Amino acid sequence: MAVLEQNPLLEGLELARTPEPCALVIFGASGDLTRRKLFPAIYSLAYRQLLPARFAVVGVARTEWSDDEFRDDMESAVREFARDEFRQDVWDTLAPGVRYVSTEFDSPEGADRLSACLTELDEERGTRGNRVYYLAVPPDVFRLLVRQIGEQRAAEGWTRLIVEKPFGYDLTTARELNQGLHGHFAEDEIFRIDHYLGKETVQNVLALRFANGIFEPIWNRQFIDHVQITVGESLGVERRAGFYEQAGAIRDIFQNHLLQLLAVTAMEPPIDFTAESVRNEKVKVLRAMHTPGPKHIVRGQYGRGFVDGEDVPAYRDEEGVAPDSMTETYVAAKLFLDNWRWADTPFYVRTGKRLPRRETTVAIQFQRAPHPPFAEIAGEGLRPNVLIVHIQPNEGVSLEIGAKVPGHGMQIRTVHMDFLYGGAFRTGLPEAYERLILDAMLGDATLFTRSDEIEEQWAIVDPIVAAWRRDRPVFPNYASGSWGPKEANDLLERDGRAWRTH
Amino acid sequence: MAATMGVERWEGTDVSVGEIERHLADLRSAVDEGGMIRTSVLTHLAWVPPEWEERALETLAGMAERHPSRTIVLVPQPDAGGNGIDATLWLNAFPLPDSGRRVCSEVIELRLRGSLCRSPASIAAPLLIADLPVFLRWRGQPPFGQQQFEELVDLVQRLIVDSTEWPRLPAPYAQLSAIFHRAAVSDIAWARTTRWRRQLASMWPEIAGVRKIRVTGTAAQAHLLAGWLRSRFEKPIGLEHEDSERLIGVELDGEAAPFPPGDPPQPSDVLSEELDRFGRDPVYEAAVGATV
Ligand SMILES: NC(=O)c1ccc[n+]([C@@H]2O[C@H](COP(=O)([O-])OP(=O)(O)OC[C@H]3O[C@@H](n4cnc5c(N)ncnc54)[C@H](OP(=O)(O)O)[C@@H]3O)[C@@H](O)[C@H]2O)c1
Repeated sequence: MAVLEQNPLLEGLELARTPEPCALVIFGASGDLTRRKLFPAIYSLAYRQLLPARFAVVGVARTEWSDDEFRDDMESAVREFARDEFRQDVWDTLAPGVRYVSTEFDSPEGADRLSACLTELDEERGTRGNRVYYLAVPPDVFRLLVRQIGEQRAAEGWTRLIVEKPFGYDLTTARELNQGLHGHFAEDEIFRIDHYLGKETVQNVLALRFANGIFEPIWNRQFIDHVQITVGESLGVERRAGFYEQAGAIRDIFQNHLLQLLAVTAMEPPIDFTAESVRNEKVKVLRAMHTPGPKHIVRGQYGRGFVDGEDVPAYRDEEGVAPDSMTETYVAAKLFLDNWRWADTPFYVRTGKRLPRRETTVAIQFQRAPHPPFAEIAGEGLRPNVLIVHIQPNEGVSLEIGAKVPGHGMQIRTVHMDFLYGGAFRTGLPEAYERLILDAMLGDATLFTRSDEIEEQWAIVDPIVAAWRRDRPVFPNYASGSWGPKEANDLLERDGRAWRTH
Repeated sequence: MAATMGVERWEGTDVSVGEIERHLADLRSAVDEGGMIRTSVLTHLAWVPPEWEERALETLAGMAERHPSRTIVLVPQPDAGGNGIDATLWLNAFPLPDSGRRVCSEVIELRLRGSLCRSPASIAAPLLIADLPVFLRWRGQPPFGQQQFEELVDLVQRLIVDSTEWPRLPAPYAQLSAIFHRAAVSDIAWARTTRWRRQLASMWPEIAGVRKIRVTGTAAQAHLLAGWLRSRFEKPIGLEHEDSERLIGVELDGEAAPFPPGDPPQPSDVLSEELDRFGRDPVYEAAVGATV
């Protein structure tokens, strides 16, 4: 950093966000995440010249590959999954710094080879002992790796650790994981990924709220009737049954992505956009959260049905799923935040697989106009204003407002005022992983989850799961291609409200 | 018919400014089948003397899609017959992937005949989109001090020039410096040195003692790079310039700097990037100040 500050030529060159020289070490380099997300993201960063000039990538896994085989595989991954066209000259800047080390993670001999490879790269590529370790591995080898990396720190340079979800299985295991990490790393060296926070549109919720003067004054219980957050997938379990059977929707989506979306929507304005300020505010929201009781949590599992016109099997008939599986593929919940801003304002959240479409939205429903002076539309006719943040797809924001239908009389119709990201900014949105990998290299943890956030999230999930153990619902209870079990609709109907369906 | 093509066009001679908005509204309703969005982010004014027209329209074509905007192209024709305004209006609709919607951009080309060249600001002002930033792209060397230019500068937030288009450098830079406090200035010539500035920055501190720079490129690039080093290092640095249409080489005290990676950017990419900037650029202003 010191060097950056003194170089008078750098001023205004926007190099401030170029990380220092470093090597990125990916454990689990032969896995699905590396292929589909990590390497394509690294390539896109290289494409935009956002990587440091002195940079290297080392892949580590058991698969027996040579450096060249790994490079070839990653090249084809980039060709297949990157959002940018494949350009040989970009690849050629990256490829010479790419290495592969084949080893069992618990092999001391392999650890030595990795460390020799990194020392060599420090010499050859000038990476100065700076390391970002990316743990793209199954959770059961986390602890082993954390210890190994902790014990093998390079003599000079910094070390940062990126940790993937799942982070723990419940509060106890999450605490153990945190303790394991803190035994070797300081909190500011740990970057727990929740890739939702890397999404442009999630960050846009913050921009919308805190860069616009008109929303914050009405962003509270007085003006907002309730909030609905939906994370819907049209896909089924695909090939992740092994993991999903253990996790279910509550651990896969609710504990992390959904609660993060909620936190970003409900948090108090942070004093600045630094890691500590932002995360302090999010933790406060999580701490203030409670569910009004088991009756207000609904779980479901998909049965057979139609999605996109295709006949799709029930969850229990998917490959790798137990025929009597009690794993939930759907969760809906009513949550309250016990603070001045939100007391008594319900947050209805839901997530599920095999819903009619892929959609992530945050919908803020405002109070109805108290006394519309138009006789024609007394009662039912007038709809409340809804501000919808479309996280994906069709990234953008729309506001539903009532407008007068032209002509005589006072007919009111709801119309949409739309802001589409793609409409105003015609550059493609970066992938979440690009932003997050870059931020970790820069040491900026704002968009990563802090240890206390994780623990608060589990503290909300644990009692829900505990209550579930006491009874056995009849699964499947919703058809693929529907918006979830009937109980989920009842949840809102009891309150005189309804889920948004479009 | 044109609705499916996504381009609508209207042409008229001797039009009044008031008529233009009405014709644009007609074009919009002709193209719109629902789902058309107008999310303008800026108004883009361009002052384009006839000799620049072709090149200017090419660059604009590459850009309209990226910055949904209203573009107003003013073509001064002081010696054309009579006094009046001829207009061509285009409405472009670009499909938004995966949404079934389209974004529209408007281009208003106004040929200002005779005396109407004298006060272009009064013609442009009613056509600006309310409350959005206005960028003025001035082709060729601006007539500093003359009414038409000065008026427009006061109308806009940002002036975009390409000092490569200016004769007799570096003298005009002194006049440019004088307007920095009135509008933020972007210089395409400067933007085109970015790759090289980055490259030179990566050679610091070894190059901190430099006494002479030799640039093979346009005169503008040579002067700006020299001005940049002088202002950064706060000391005099000699300049040798070898003319070339593109910036292809920089030597510091006789030592060639390595060629920067990547391709030089396309004209519309450069302009497009300048349209994403809003504030003043103190590093550029200091460099300009140190050219003379
Ligand atoms: N895939 C996704 O989209 C996604 C999304 C979010 C989070 N994640 C998380 O990211 C992590 C990786 O996911 P993934 O889908 O990439 O898993 P995966 O395809 O199963 O890959 C696991 C990787 O770990 C390596 N590995 C496993 N045990 C090892 C051992 N004992 N010694 C050495 N290498 C070992 C495997 O390599 P070898 O078999 O060659 O040894 C493989 O490269 C998981 O924690 C997952 O939950 C994944």
